[in-house]
Amino acid sequence: MANIKRFTTIQRLSHFVLILTFMLLSVTGLAWMYIETGWGQGLANIFGGYIAVLEVHRITGLILLIGFVLHIGYMLYIINWRGLPKSILGPDSLVFQKKDWLDFVQHLRWIVGLSKEPRFERWSWWEKFDYWAVWWGLLIVGVTGLMLYNPVLSSDYMPGWLLNIAVWVHRIEALLAMAHIFTIHFFVEHFRPRCFPFSATMFEGSKDIEHLRQEHPAWVERMEREGRLSDVLVPAVPVPLRILHFVTGYALITLGVFLVVYAIINVTYLTLAF
Amino acid sequence: MHLRRNSRYLLTLLLCLGILMPAAVSAADEEHPYEATSSGYFRDQDTLPGGYSLYRQDEAGRLWGGPSGGDIKRASFQADAHEGLDGYGRRSCVSCHETERYSLHTSRGNTSCVQCHRDKPIAGLYHYYSAMNPIRRHAYICAKCHEGSTASFATYVVHEPRPLVGSTADSFPLFYYAVWFMVILAVGVFAVFLPYVTLWGVRELIEMFGKGGGHNG
Repeated sequence: MANIKRFTTIQRLSHFVLILTFMLLSVTGLAWMYIETGWGQGLANIFGGYIAVLEVHRITGLILLIGFVLHIGYMLYIINWRGLPKSILGPDSLVFQKKDWLDFVQHLRWIVGLSKEPRFERWSWWEKFDYWAVWWGLLIVGVTGLMLYNPVLSSDYMPGWLLNIAVWVHRIEALLAMAHIFTIHFFVEHFRPRCFPFSATMFEGSKDIEHLRQEHPAWVERMEREGRLSDVLVPAVPVPLRILHFVTGYALITLGVFLVVYAIINVTYLTLAF
Repeated sequence: MHLRRNSRYLLTLLLCLGILMPAAVSAADEEHPYEATSSGYFRDQDTLPGGYSLYRQDEAGRLWGGPSGGDIKRASFQADAHEGLDGYGRRSCVSCHETERYSLHTSRGNTSCVQCHRDKPIAGLYHYYSAMNPIRRHAYICAKCHEGSTASFATYVVHEPRPLVGSTADSFPLFYYAVWFMVILAVGVFAVFLPYVTLWGVRELIEMFGKGGGHNG
């Protein structure tokens, strides 16, 4: 069965680096947030205690921010500047358009049985949302994370009481990001019936044509109409590589779910006062 | 007589100029303190104009939604803040200061009260010689652990108010509104997505088992 290429190697690599840094930041961040509990101390001990775990958190955060800057450079590089604004408002763009809002409403109506399923183009509304959510999240945790990186130094350039705010904003945005990825993102991409048990598109870079005819019919039809479909067809990924993707993916999913479950179990032992 | 008096004046004037001139020249060579680079004891931010000023912190704090000191008690100016309290010697700090029991410093740094409230007897925060006085707090208290601490750094509110309660809107407005904004953002995302994806999953299940999916899908 033939596959359609959906992501380039650079895009897959970017996503994988994002996974690794995000997971490391989640483990080290939760270790620090829960350092009062046995669970938090156990997580910190993996890295050699709470001082080391904070240092790993800081350095990983910097690596992620560098990755973010590189991604912005990549994005500026692949934009077709001469074709603006049409080039970023076309069907291959991740920029939100009116169709996404209409798709969202129709998708909701389809879910409750009031309408036909929307015919998604290359990117559905939730894929665009997931992409831009990383931007908004990274900007918030990135700015506050830099403020907290060296609080004595940063309070040379702002009043120290902004650190009170930075801690809470960093904390809530991080919890939101983790909870969203480990529940909503995993469910939509892997656990809903059409994708279960695992969707490896972001690992393999391609997806079988039948699945895409169901999930992104307008995109496949456009490529057929324009006679470009044969250009994007790639052979299916060999089985050993698919097993590797599956095992890696499930290890990461298990880690994410473990973090969510234990964070919820241990939350009553924290002395944070809301 | 007239000439002699004039020449005496002239002589005095020259003498004065002679004394003053070299001094004036050397003063012009000296850098104004504001232009001086750091001595090593202070960083540029501590001496350059326009930086953080301890003496304008209340004004700036009110302008930008920072923390306000709240009501200052008379005991805050005493050399011994607990002077005359019945049974003071037999009580623990948190038996009275219950709301100050938890902070990131105690829960994560394992610090005890007297590691920061270090005067013996414990002086009021604003007593002139108190180590906690904002004039010297950064150097006498914070810098024990946070090397290089500045007056600006010391405005971090260790015993921060609870961010979501109404009274914080008055005592630390920006803190209150920023945290509420984040909470609404986070809760809003889940309020939309959790029911959405649940129904979505059910819809695909129905479709999968062919019950009603055909005519719509």
